[in-house]
Amino acid sequence: MVPSQSVVSDEYRGVDMAGGDHAGGTPEDRPVSRPGQGGLELILAQVAKGDDAAFRVLYDQAAPAVLGIARSVLRDPAQSEEVMQEVLLEIWRMSARFDPSAGSASAWIMTVAHRRAVDRVRSEQRAAERELRAATASIAYDEVSDAAMTSLEHQRVRRCLDGLTDLQRESVTLAYYGGYSYREVAQLLGVAVGTVKTRMRDGLIRLRDCLGVE
Amino acid sequence: MQARGAGPHALVGAYVMDAVTEAERTSFERHLLSCEQCREDVRGLREAAARLAEAEAIPPRPELREQTLQAAARTRQQPPLVVSQNRQLGAGRRWRNGPRWLQRPARVGARPWLARLALGAAVVLAITATVFGLHLSSMQGKLTAAEQRDTAIATVLGAHDVTTLTAKVTTGGTATVVMSHRARALVFIGNGLTRLPTSQAYELWLMSPAGATPVGMLPPARRGMSGPMVVNRLRPGEQLAMTVEPATGARRPTSSPVVLVFLGS
Repeated sequence: MVPSQSVVSDEYRGVDMAGGDHAGGTPEDRPVSRPGQGGLELILAQVAKGDDAAFRVLYDQAAPAVLGIARSVLRDPAQSEEVMQEVLLEIWRMSARFDPSAGSASAWIMTVAHRRAVDRVRSEQRAAERELRAATASIAYDEVSDAAMTSLEHQRVRRCLDGLTDLQRESVTLAYYGGYSYREVAQLLGVAVGTVKTRMRDGLIRLRDCLGVE
Repeated sequence: MQARGAGPHALVGAYVMDAVTEAERTSFERHLLSCEQCREDVRGLREAAARLAEAEAIPPRPELREQTLQAAARTRQQPPLVVSQNRQLGAGRRWRNGPRWLQRPARVGARPWLARLALGAAVVLAITATVFGLHLSSMQGKLTAAEQRDTAIATVLGAHDVTTLTAKVTTGGTATVVMSHRARALVFIGNGLTRLPTSQAYELWLMSPAGATPVGMLPPARRGMSGPMVVNRLRPGEQLAMTVEPATGARRPTSSPVVLVFLGS
């Protein structure tokens, strides 16, 4: 069941009243970073006003997924943690610029996170490392997915990924989880660049429809 | 309109997953400006991609939390940026079912509160026109807020058709709008607006026959001045309104405007 908006705001008020206390605001059985419709947006609006209690809530809700995607793209735990912290700080800094009419808060945060992780890969990675990654790329999907195997969200997304054609799934996971460009994906999979482009698009569209994204 | 199977549009998946080069990103974003369907697709696919990230969520080490919170406490936040880039991204459609006063173009005299609004005299300055050059940045972060704002303000002020409109705010203070139809942009400044309790804030809207599009929250006044806020990509027939809303902002106006500025067409 999706938590309702009022559940999220109640929780937020709870944290606010705790007045600056540390961890423990997020019940463990609640799915991370999937607040009820509008919940994260409201929190973000508070964050934009410099409300640090709201930022604590935002951290608890978004940091795990941000770390997850950073880890999946970068692999290196220390670098992933750095990127996670950079992204959360970026969200803090830029929260006033978030526009809910352009998409959900979660999509905004994950867009920033993925971009940051990919930028880091592209700017820092030496050619030799890239080749090494390319050699091991075929195991990327399974390996990455182990980390969060138990969450419901993971299983839901995994089920939808399984509904893609092999080429769509590989194109999407290598690009999103692996941080590869479509040209690199084409080379890895030994298919034409144009084919990869359309598989990425069609794969994401199918994923969107399967997940029931609004 | 671009066929969905070919041309730049085929890149939408790779674009959303950051699997493109910098040059391709820039060129795709230029394409987005003229392709509403593409913007809508980007929006939906971004939601799907976000779910891919969430599916891989892993709990950070507990000590990172305090570190990050402390770093935030030491970091200055950027002010709201009211370049309406996001209106470009398919926004506005959602707001069509606002209150009844938003459903139709407002006519003077049609509603009592409209009649109370005093619109100030227009002052026209003639300066050289410049090309409106803010480009869409998907990260919204390439230029600082101040740089983008200053560029936009300079553009408006530099336009040869720049117009200044002043209107009284019914709850106190005045609203000044400096705009250029040619640049399709305006700069909004509030003067001496009545201070609101912290639970409330002024919110700006663009109103059209299709409804109200939120422009943004006016930051708290400094030395009596609220703003400047820049509004870009005005469309013909849009009017600027300001309402008092909960401080978190509203998705559609919940009260009558405290000022309405007719922008002309």
